[in-house]
Amino acid sequence: MRKLSYVFMALSAMCFAVPAFAQGAAAGTTNWVAITAGFSMAIASAVCGLAQAKATAAAAEGLARNPAARPGIQLALILGLALIESLALYTLVIIFAKVK
Amino acid sequence: MEPETANSLEEPAGAAESFYSRALPRISRFMFAVSVIGSAAAWVVYGWRVAAGFACGAAIAYLNFHWLKRAVNALADAVTQTGQRQSSKGIVLRFLLRYVLMGLGAYVILTVSPASLSGLFAGLFVPVGAIACEAAYEVYVTVARGL
Repeated sequence: MRKLSYVFMALSAMCFAVPAFAQGAAAGTTNWVAITAGFSMAIASAVCGLAQAKATAAAAEGLARNPAARPGIQLALILGLALIESLALYTLVIIFAKVK
Repeated sequence: MEPETANSLEEPAGAAESFYSRALPRISRFMFAVSVIGSAAAWVVYGWRVAAGFACGAAIAYLNFHWLKRAVNALADAVTQTGQRQSSKGIVLRFLLRYVLMGLGAYVILTVSPASLSGLFAGLFVPVGAIACEAAYEVYVTVARGL
C-alpha cells in the first residue's frame, strides 16, 4: 500500500511539472525514433519474458500432473520458447533497421 | 475380432507417436539445411560478407536452440524427478548464459564487420525457418499418410 502511494505521489508530481522549465523547440530536435525504439524493445522483452514464464509454468504444471505426457509437453515447450524468443528478435531487427 | 480392432487402432497411433517423437532431430536437420541454403544464396546475391554473417548467425541460433533443448530437458528432469539430478541454479544460469553468448557474438560481428550484421540477423531466424519447414512436412505427412 505504501509503495502504491509513492507511485501515485510520483505520478502527481509529474502531472504538476512546470511547463516553463521544459526545453524549447529551438534547442534541437528530439530523436523520437531512438526513444520509441528503446520503449519498443523494452515492451517486447517484457512481454516475451512474461510469455516464456507463463509457458514454462504451464509446462511444468502439466509435467507434474502427468509425467507420462513428457515427450509431447517438452516438444511443445521447446518450440514455444524458440518462437517467443524470435518475437523479441523481430523487434530488435526492426530497431536496427530504423535506428542508424 | 476385438483384439484385431484394437491392434489396427494401435498401429497408426504408434506410428504417429514415433513420427512426432522424431520432430526435434528433424528440426535440427532442417536448421542445417536452411543454414547451408541460406548462406549459399546470400553469397550469390549479396557477397561473402553477408554470407559469413548469415553463417555466424545460423551457428549462434543452432547453439542457442541446442542449449534451449538441454535447459528444457533439465527442467523436465527436475519436475518429474527422473534422470540425473541437476541444481536449479545451474539450469537457470545456463538458460541466461545463452543470451550473454548471443549478445557477445553479435557485438564481435558488429565491431569486426558492420556490413555483415544484416546477415547475422537473418541467420538468427534459422530456427523459425526450420520450424516452419517441420510444420509444412508434418502437414504433408498427415495428408499423404493419414497419421
